[in-house]
Amino acid sequence: MTFLALSPLQTVLLALLTTGLVVALYFLKLRHRRVLISSSILWLKVLDERQAHSLWEKLRKIISIIVAVTITLLIALSLARPEIESLTGKTERIVIVLDTSPTMTTQTADGRTRWQHAMDRAENLLDGGGPTTEFRVVDTSGVTSSAFTTDRNEARRLIEQMSPRSAEPQFPKVDGRDSRVYFVSDGVALHGVPSFVRRVSVFERAQNVGITAFEIRSIPSTPLGYEAYLEVQNYGNPAEVAITLSAPGGQRLSRSVRLAKGEIFKDAFDLSRFTGGGIRATIQSKDDALPLDDVAFAYLPIKRKTRTLLVTRGNNNLETLLKLDNYVELLKIDPANYRESSNIDAYIFDRFAPSTPPSRPALILGAPNAGWLRTSNGIVQKPEITTWSEDHPIMQFVSVHDVSIERAAQIDATNLTVVAASKQTPLILVSEKPRWVMLTFDLDSSDFAFHVGFPVFIENVLAWFSREQLALRRSPGVVEVPLANAQVRTIDGKTVPASQQLGKTIFEAAEPGLYVATQGENRVHVAVNLANRSFSDVNQSVFKDDRAAAGQRYWLRRELWFYMLLGAVVLIGVEWFTYHRRITL
Amino acid sequence: MSTATLSLFDDEFLKKLEYLNIISKRLFAGQLRAERRTRKRGTGLEFADYRAYVAGDDFRHLDWKAYLRLNRLILKLFEEEEDLPIYFFVDSSQSMNYGSPSKLDYARRVAAALAYIGLANLDRVNIVSFGNGIKGELPPQRGKGRIFKIFRFLTDMTAGGDTNAKESFKTYCTETRRRGLAVVISDFFDQHGFQTALDVLRHFRHDIFILHIASHEEIDPPLKGELQLVDSESQVGREITITPSLLAAYRAEFARYCESLESYCGKYQLGYVRTATDFPFEELVLKVFRQGRFLK
Repeated sequence: MTFLALSPLQTVLLALLTTGLVVALYFLKLRHRRVLISSSILWLKVLDERQAHSLWEKLRKIISIIVAVTITLLIALSLARPEIESLTGKTERIVIVLDTSPTMTTQTADGRTRWQHAMDRAENLLDGGGPTTEFRVVDTSGVTSSAFTTDRNEARRLIEQMSPRSAEPQFPKVDGRDSRVYFVSDGVALHGVPSFVRRVSVFERAQNVGITAFEIRSIPSTPLGYEAYLEVQNYGNPAEVAITLSAPGGQRLSRSVRLAKGEIFKDAFDLSRFTGGGIRATIQSKDDALPLDDVAFAYLPIKRKTRTLLVTRGNNNLETLLKLDNYVELLKIDPANYRESSNIDAYIFDRFAPSTPPSRPALILGAPNAGWLRTSNGIVQKPEITTWSEDHPIMQFVSVHDVSIERAAQIDATNLTVVAASKQTPLILVSEKPRWVMLTFDLDSSDFAFHVGFPVFIENVLAWFSREQLALRRSPGVVEVPLANAQVRTIDGKTVPASQQLGKTIFEAAEPGLYVATQGENRVHVAVNLANRSFSDVNQSVFKDDRAAAGQRYWLRRELWFYMLLGAVVLIGVEWFTYHRRITL
Repeated sequence: MSTATLSLFDDEFLKKLEYLNIISKRLFAGQLRAERRTRKRGTGLEFADYRAYVAGDDFRHLDWKAYLRLNRLILKLFEEEEDLPIYFFVDSSQSMNYGSPSKLDYARRVAAALAYIGLANLDRVNIVSFGNGIKGELPPQRGKGRIFKIFRFLTDMTAGGDTNAKESFKTYCTETRRRGLAVVISDFFDQHGFQTALDVLRHFRHDIFILHIASHEEIDPPLKGELQLVDSESQVGREITITPSLLAAYRAEFARYCESLESYCGKYQLGYVRTATDFPFEELVLKVFRQGRFLK
């Protein structure tokens, strides 16, 4: 037995003092009332018989003082906060880390989820600790991290508030030197666990078929043509899988495939019949244990014609190219007749530039002189394209390495994006605000217009100017959107709390879904999908069995002083009851 | 009626007492003529027997009718009627001064009533006050006119001292006494035991009648809590805690004590009546004693 509040010497002194005090008070009790009786013959006979024949009568005199001393000792010693390790456990710290990775939502054979089993295990750990044990509850998603507390109810409340999240889990920073750390997990998503951590497994094998990849991509050969790429993998027994792609307009593609154990289904779906908007891919299979990876989202840009004004003194190649584009409504005027119009989506200025910048995006061919454009510093003869960026949207599927250029203007590209350049001068420049694209050479002085990538380039530029973009692909968790001060909504129109950081908008996407970030006229779609093989493979656990590293269970749930005071109260009650019935003296 | 008489009982009660007579189971020889039958043959009114006439007999008692029928002189014998010595032993130890009314007051009234009955029947009434010996003694009284003397004696009787009935009775009886009816009025709280005391009276061949007086406080003590019980005679105290079980044990012990006294009396054919001080005194004398065949 140890004492938390007093030293052993102080405790002994306290016990002796209280015992002495009670004994002294016992003998200082009030004198008995004197009562005269006619004769004590019969009384003495009765008393002698009772004292002679009853052990209880012999003991009764000292029972009261024993009870009184016991009561005061219980109260006095409770002040010292005694602790008996075998009954209450020693004072220690326990950290319970709960795995909140997506795989914890996997259903088990009993119809519950691994997460529900994990909560039970965590409750067992809470129950197992002694009354002085301090608990800390942490999750792997970084949302919950409590301080150490002896209040089990508070710890329980925190556990009940936790839930599995689709974000990438991360083992929290915990100190194993002064505390015991338990990790309640299925061992699937988190592998890098420190060695001092005691694992409590909730792993149980399960059937799962999941979408491991889903995206919409454009078809290079077809203007505004898109296809959906889908990848489905079976992580359980052979299963029949029903695949459905659906759009808000009612368009629907369905397919049923049979997948063997571990087999991957990969295919591209033609979306030419889809008008655009959010595309939802779902799969259905028997005994699927993880619903999170049975759905995925993407965004298909809405198809509409771009009203384009070509300002040129004459460029047959370009004019023909634009006329043949089904998604371009072409208007052509001479530079002398140029006036800005409000119903134009994009301008193409061929060797001409207006004195004021247009209100709509523009493709400028050549390097005309205009106040809002960079001034030419000279002419570069036969520049060779040495660098170009394939990452920029206008350069997607465009190859310019073999384009021959007769001459190009020398331009200072400071604060502009260069997507293609020679050693001497930039050749293709991009301005974000105002949005324009400039070729520092005209089409007549190069063979770019005769290259196979030129129509694609024009298509990319017009798409970048006015058409919707494909959705950004992100995983659940914290999502960054390259759009400042944007308002984020779900595809259903519900607002999602977002914050701003370094010109980006950040929001929490707990579940897979399609989100829209809007800032003025700019709009960015974000497709958040689990689509992660390490999550879908719910049987890839590092736990070889599901044995739990259970904590030691103790008899008492509170500190010993509580039971001592309770005992004192009970003894006072018993003493009061027996004294008033003259059972004790 | 004197003040002493008034304090004991009223005239109405006295008139009722005159119709009563004390019964003695034995026949004792008296000294003076009176109304109580004896074994002697004498000049009483009650016919007793016949015997043949012998010279010197009083021929006034010859049965002349028998002589005419049998031609023999036959003498009629009559019972001699004499007085009965009645000894009232009244316990006046300190224990009798207990209860409300006190046992001594109750005993005084009973003794006075019985003495009056005896005097009314021309019996020889002796009153003895005893405790740890003979504390007082009233010489034999005869005739109703002596009742006031008895009243005075009883009224002057005071309680005190402890009890030693055996020595008291032995002292009294060893003096030359005539056998008679001994009425012992006491609570029988005697450290030396009641049997040996009553054995003394039996040894002297008295006809014994026991009146056992107990107070209500002794039968069912109204005690509770931590007490020091002090014996009124010895003044010795004892600290005890009165519990329900202890009270029950005391009541059982009291009942056992009374039963032992009653069984002793039954064994030796002694008259026994037990009464409590809260029992109506007149009812005790007029009904209970008659039912107990002590009075008729």
